[in-house]
Amino acid sequence: MSLPPSLPPSLVATLPGAYYTDPGVFARECERVFESMWFCAVRASDLPKPGAFRTVQVGRESILVTRARDGSARAFYNVCRHRGARLRTEESGEARRAFQCPYHAWTYDFDGRLVAAPNLTKMPDLDRVEYGLVNVAVREWLGYVWVCLAEEPPSFEEDVLGEVRTRLGDVASLDNYDVAGLALGRRIRYDVAANWKLIVENFMECYHCATIHPELTEVLPEFAGGYAAQYYVGHGALFGEEIRGFTVDGSEGLDRIPGIREDQDRRYYAITIKPQVFVNMVPDHVIVHRMFPLAVDRTVVECDWLYLPEVVEAGRDVSRSVELFHRVNEQDFDACERTQPSMSSRTYARGGVLVPSEHHIGLFHDWVRGRLSEGGGDAG
Amino acid sequence: MIPVCPLRSLPRGEAFRLDADPPIAVFHTEDGEIYAIDDTCTHQDASLADGWLEGCEVECPLHASRFDLRTGKVDSPPAKLPVRTHTVVVEADTIYVIPSQEPRP
Repeated sequence: MSLPPSLPPSLVATLPGAYYTDPGVFARECERVFESMWFCAVRASDLPKPGAFRTVQVGRESILVTRARDGSARAFYNVCRHRGARLRTEESGEARRAFQCPYHAWTYDFDGRLVAAPNLTKMPDLDRVEYGLVNVAVREWLGYVWVCLAEEPPSFEEDVLGEVRTRLGDVASLDNYDVAGLALGRRIRYDVAANWKLIVENFMECYHCATIHPELTEVLPEFAGGYAAQYYVGHGALFGEEIRGFTVDGSEGLDRIPGIREDQDRRYYAITIKPQVFVNMVPDHVIVHRMFPLAVDRTVVECDWLYLPEVVEAGRDVSRSVELFHRVNEQDFDACERTQPSMSSRTYARGGVLVPSEHHIGLFHDWVRGRLSEGGGDAG
Repeated sequence: MIPVCPLRSLPRGEAFRLDADPPIAVFHTEDGEIYAIDDTCTHQDASLADGWLEGCEVECPLHASRFDLRTGKVDSPPAKLPVRTHTVVVEADTIYVIPSQEPRP
């Protein structure tokens, strides 16, 4: 990192302001980050049957995520192979028989194979797989469908599970929560007028907690000290003595997830899975944030609150539980939106500074610079 | 009588496109019946053998008009004209069709 010569040892430089405002930087991030890495796209339960689909923006590409007739998740570029029309423009839906382009009726089955088109039998030299939809690599993990647009996807075990190991020390500590087996209790979508990196940086530190998160700091008193759980390895922030659950008023939460260890009880853990996922674990629920960066200054965040299936099926009241992190989200995203306009200020051209409890964000900045400066990148 | 294919190579629920002039679609229904009709939809050039077989009907894969395999009649637009039906014979585990002598509608 290029440190201005005058910086005292307590401070580390952030990225320069242009990293948060330059559309050229964002385009490179799309190519070398979002279109090259594993990207958490869709909750698996949002694709309940073959033909159910979601369209998601991954970098600069629209991706159609669906389920084949054998029940396995599939993902394709949402682009007709004939003249390029977008196959589906809705965010979600259910195809009855096939995906049919509304322009010339090229028709693809749920495996992406071209099954019909006008005059197709008169073109016996047109291979139905070759001219099928272009496949995207898919993995199901934590009850989510992850996609990767790279022609040769990086190792899921190293890249994605590696982030879990880095933060928690091992993957078993996350497996205990059986995130794939939990049910969606609530989803809130936030349209945030800020660069995606501001949201990541905000999530990584807790220097701001005592100032903007009064409810969270009440539940997790150590957060007033400014050190986020993510500053450490394998550390969960302990609930306050009077706190009965991870709720907006510290009242009782929902049923505890049975697989967690005793030492995971009454604690909050957080993981950042670069580039766009946050996982938050507490004894009775797991909160998963998925970011969808849409422009250099706009990021949609979908936040899922996941509980034991019996809690959701019984219609138990999860509102106080949801309200705590919903407030945290709004407080955080307000802060990010307050910061974004200043990124183009001449006074921020060289960036700002990180205090000691934020120094680990410097590793994230090094990582971003590394991805952007890599030779050719492996994006298609 | 034109040989189509061995009976065992056309499982129930599937179709075979016989590249005759004009082409013929042969269907083996889930109930075990075998039917043959003109392969080309009367609305636009689409192969009905690529369509969706349900009961005794096939739905055109392009615009969803449904043809009755027993009569060739179409249920709803955009296709308006029926397709012809052809006689199916199964002999010695081979499927044959006897093409209709009627003019195409």
